[in-house]
Amino acid sequence: MRTTNSTAVHASGLVKRYEGRNVGVEAVRGVDLTVEAGEVFGFLGPNGAGKSTTVKMLTTLLSITSGSAQVAGVDVAGDPDEVRRRIGVALQEAGLDPRQTGRELLVLQARLFGLSPEDASSRTEELLALVELEDAADRRIKGYSGGMKRRLDLASALVHEPEVLFLDEPTTGLDPASRLTVWEEVRRINARGTTVFLTTQYLEEADRLCDRLAIIDDGRIVREGTPEELKADLRERQGLASEPSLDDVFLDATGRTRGRVEGDVQEVMA
Amino acid sequence: MSQAWLLGQRALREGWRTPDALFPTVFIPLFFLVVNVGQVAKIFPSSSTEFLHGQGYGAFQMPNSLLLAASFGTAALFLVEDIEGGYFDKLRAAPVSRTAIVLGRLIAELVKGVLIATALVALGLIFGISVASGPLGFVLLIGLTALWSVVFVGFMQLIALKTRSAAATNSAGLVFFPLLFLTPNFVPRDLLTRPMEIASTLNPVTYVMEALRSLLLEDLEWGTILPGFAVVAVLGALMLFLNVRMIRNYD
Repeated sequence: MRTTNSTAVHASGLVKRYEGRNVGVEAVRGVDLTVEAGEVFGFLGPNGAGKSTTVKMLTTLLSITSGSAQVAGVDVAGDPDEVRRRIGVALQEAGLDPRQTGRELLVLQARLFGLSPEDASSRTEELLALVELEDAADRRIKGYSGGMKRRLDLASALVHEPEVLFLDEPTTGLDPASRLTVWEEVRRINARGTTVFLTTQYLEEADRLCDRLAIIDDGRIVREGTPEELKADLRERQGLASEPSLDDVFLDATGRTRGRVEGDVQEVMA
Repeated sequence: MSQAWLLGQRALREGWRTPDALFPTVFIPLFFLVVNVGQVAKIFPSSSTEFLHGQGYGAFQMPNSLLLAASFGTAALFLVEDIEGGYFDKLRAAPVSRTAIVLGRLIAELVKGVLIATALVALGLIFGISVASGPLGFVLLIGLTALWSVVFVGFMQLIALKTRSAAATNSAGLVFFPLLFLTPNFVPRDLLTRPMEIASTLNPVTYVMEALRSLLLEDLEWGTILPGFAVVAVLGALMLFLNVRMIRNYD
C-alpha cells in the first residue's frame, strides 16, 4: 500500500509486544502518526516510553506486532527492502565500525547502497565536507570524539540521499557545542528536502528544530501538534497568564509535575 | 555477491588491524603440536610405526593443530562488537542482502583460514614434515582447513546472533575441545578403545581430521579425502542457512 507523496511517514495502530516466558510486555500500544514530507518531526517521551521501539519498527529493524506503517509511501512490513532504500538511519548508538577510517566507512556504505566506486568516492567527499570531517577522514573512527562520531553517523545515513532520515536521540551525551553542530546539520539536511524524524529527550532541541512533534508516554501518543499549538492548548486549558514552555507541555502530557520531578531528583541526590 | 565481497573486504581489514586477535590462532596450535609430539613421539618412532608412513609423529599431529587454528572463530566476536556498537543495525537498516551480511564474514574467514593454514604448514615443512600427496594435496590440505574455519565460525556466529554476548560466544567456542579429543587425534581410529572408536566415528570432526592426515601422510586417497570435504560441505551449507535465517528473524 502506498500513501500520498506528501506523506513521509504514516503509522496506524502500531503495536510492539515482546513475549516473555510468563508475561508479555507491550512497549508500543497503538501508535497513530502522520509526518508530512519536508517536515522536521519531533518524537518526544520519557525513558522507556516507546520512542526507540517505534523508530525501530518504522526503520524495519523490529517486526511489527500489529498495525501498519508506510514510510516514503512504502509498506514497512510488505516491502522492507524498498523502505531501506528510501530511508537513512542514525540510531542512539552511533552505528560505526571503530576499526575503519571515516572515509572507508562512508565509501563502504555508499557501495552497499549500489553506488559505483567513482560515485561512492565523490559522494564521500561531499559528505565529509558537509559534516566538516575532511581532516579526520583517514583516521580510524575509534579515535574520534563523541561529536565527530555523531556527525560521521549522520553522514553515513545520507550516502544515498534518503527521502526520510530517522535520527534517534542524535545529541544524547554530546557537549553543548557538539549539540549545536548537530542541530545545524539537521537544519541543512532538511533544507535540502529530506524529511527528518527525530526522537529526543531534550525539549529545547525539539522546540528549536521541529516543525511538529508528538509526545509518547507508556507506549501511546498523548499529544501531537506544532510546538506553538501545544503551548497554546496548555495555556488555554490551565488558564495560564504567561506562555508555558515546552517543558510544561511535556510534564502535563506525561502526567508529571515540576514538584514531583524535583522531588525525584532530590531523592536521587540524597 | 558484490555486497558480500565488500563486507568481506571490510572484515579482512578488521582482522588485519587487530593482530592481537590473530597471534593466539597461530601460537596455541603450535604450542600443542610441540607438547603433543614431545610427550608421545618416543612411543611411536617413525621407523617402526606403520601408521606414520615413514614420517615423524609431528606429521601425524599436524591435523590437530590445523583444526585447532581453524577453530578460534574470532570473527564471531567481531560480530558481537558490531551488534553491541550498533553497526550491525546500520547494516540491517540498509538494503543489504541478509545472505551477504553472513557471507561477508565467512569469505573473510576463508581467506584468513588459507593464510593461517599456509603459515602452519610452511613451519611444519621447515621442521621436516612433508605433504606426501604432492602439490594438489597441499592445496587440498589448505583448502579443507580453511573451509573448516568457515564452518566453525558459522557455528560461533549462530551463538553470537542468538546471545548477543561476547562471554557466551567465547564460551561456546569451548564446545570444540571435546569434539577435537573425541577423534583419533593420537592414534588411528582402529587402535582406539571400542567406546572411543564409536564416539569418534559419530563425530564429524573425525572425517575432516582423517582427510587432513591422509593428505599429509599418504598419496591422494580419495576414499579418505572426500568424506572430509563432504562433512564441511554439508555443515557449511547448514551454517549458512541457519545464519541467514537467524538474521532474517533478528528482532
